[in-house]
Amino acid sequence: MKNEHEIMEIESLPLGKIIHITCKGIRIRIWRSLIVVSGIVLAIAFLSYILCSDGFAQNIAKSAGSIAEKVTPEQIQEMKDQRVQTYWMVALAILISFVGIINAMLMSVTERFREIGTMKCLGALDSFVLKMFLIESVIEGLIGALAGVITGILIAYVEGAITYGSGVWTLLPAGWFLGITAFSFVTGVVITIIAALYPAKQAAKMTPVVALRAEL
Amino acid sequence: MSASAENKVVQEPVETKLSTSYVVRATGVKKIYTMGSEQVHALRGVDFAVKRGEYISIMGPSGSGKSTLFNMIGGLDKPNQGQVYIDEVDIAALNPVELAWLRCHKVGYIFQTYNLIPVATALDNVMLPMIFAGMQQADAQDKAVKLLEKVGLGERILHKPLQMSGGQQQRVAIARALANSPSIVLADEPTANLDKKTGLQIINLLKELNKTEGVSIITATHDHKMLDISDRIAWVRDGRIEKFQKRSDLEIKEGEMHVQ
Repeated sequence: MKNEHEIMEIESLPLGKIIHITCKGIRIRIWRSLIVVSGIVLAIAFLSYILCSDGFAQNIAKSAGSIAEKVTPEQIQEMKDQRVQTYWMVALAILISFVGIINAMLMSVTERFREIGTMKCLGALDSFVLKMFLIESVIEGLIGALAGVITGILIAYVEGAITYGSGVWTLLPAGWFLGITAFSFVTGVVITIIAALYPAKQAAKMTPVVALRAEL
Repeated sequence: MSASAENKVVQEPVETKLSTSYVVRATGVKKIYTMGSEQVHALRGVDFAVKRGEYISIMGPSGSGKSTLFNMIGGLDKPNQGQVYIDEVDIAALNPVELAWLRCHKVGYIFQTYNLIPVATALDNVMLPMIFAGMQQADAQDKAVKLLEKVGLGERILHKPLQMSGGQQQRVAIARALANSPSIVLADEPTANLDKKTGLQIINLLKELNKTEGVSIITATHDHKMLDISDRIAWVRDGRIEKFQKRSDLEIKEGEMHVQ
C-alpha cells in the first residue's frame, strides 16, 4: 500500500554530474584505466601508421621530384602487393585490442562490486551505473584514440623522412591527411564504446546486496 | 507477567492497527534459495516489527537466516512469500526505480567494511547520497558538515578515508547513513572489523544518535557489546525468530549471558 502523497521517483542525475563522478573515479583507478587506454593507443597507432605509410606509397607514384627518384617502380609495386596483407594485420590488431578492452573492463567491474553495490544502496539507479561505465569508456577512448593517432602518424612521418627525405612532409594532400586522422580517431573511440557495452551492462545488473559481502 | 511466560517464544503482535508507529513490519516472510537442485529455506515464516525510534539487534549463527532477514527489512531483497513494509510501504510492490528511491531516502546503510570511496574526502562521501536525492550542492555541503560534526569528525571533513583509522571511517559511514534523514539505519556487523575499545565507541555513538535523531537502528551482529544498548534483541535460528526479547529480560555478565 503506497502512501499516495509521496512521489517515489528518483530523477536521473544530470549528465554533468555523472561525468564529474566518473572523472573522479578514473583518477582513483588511474592504473587500471591506463591499461585500457594503452590498448587503444597501440591499436590506433598501428592503424594510423599503416594508413599513413600506405598513403605515402600511393602518392609517391603520382609525385615527381626528389622523392620519385629515390624509389624504384619495383619497390612501388611491392608496396602495393603487400597492401592486402597489411590491412589484414591492422584488422587483427584492432580485434585483439577490442577483446583486450572488454577483458580489462570486465575485470574492473568485477573488482568494483562493492563500490557498485554501495552506490545502489545509496540510491543509484541501474541506468546511473550504466552511464558511469560508458562515460568512463568514452573518456578512455577519446584519450587513447588521440594519443594513438598522434603516435602512429608521427612514427609514419619520421620513418618516411628517413626513407624518402624531407619531401615527405608535404607528400600527403590535406584531404588524405585529414581523412586518415579522422578515420583512425573515430575508429578508436567507437571500438572502445562497443567493447564497454557488455561490461557496463554487467555492472548495471549488479544487486546492492553484494556490498554486504565481506570477501570477494 | 509470570516467570514462565517470559521464557516462551515471544512473537510481536503484528495485526495491530495500521499506524506509522511501526517503521518496519514483516509478516509471514519466507525466502527460499535454489542452489542447483537443492532448495535452501533461508526464512521459514518470520513475523517481525520494529517501532519507530527503537534500537534492535538481530543475532544468530551463520546460516540461521539472520542475513536474509536483514536484507529483507533493508529493502535489499524481496520475500518469496509474505510481506515486508518499510514505513508502511510494501517493498514487493515497488519497481526498481521506487526501490532505489526507498534506499536513498528511507534507509541508511552501514557496512562491516565501511564501503567508503577511499580517495574522496569525508565530505564528498557523506554528500553522495544527498546528490542522488537531488539536493543542491551548497545545502548538501552544509548538512554534510553538520553530520560529520555530530559524529565527532568536525576537524577531518577534508580528510580521506585512506588517512583515517577504522573507527574514524566507520564514523564517516555513520554520517553518510544519516545523510538523507532516513527512517531506519541498517548496520551490518558494524564493529566486526574494529577492536574492542573502538567498537564500543561506535556502539555508543549509534545509541546516542538513536536517541537524539530518533532514527530507528537495526543491527545484525555477533557483538555482545551491542546487546547492552539495544531496546530489543531478535534471536534468529534455522530461518525463524526464536526469541524477540526486551533488553530488560536479559542479564548480561562479562563473558556470559543469562535469560531471566
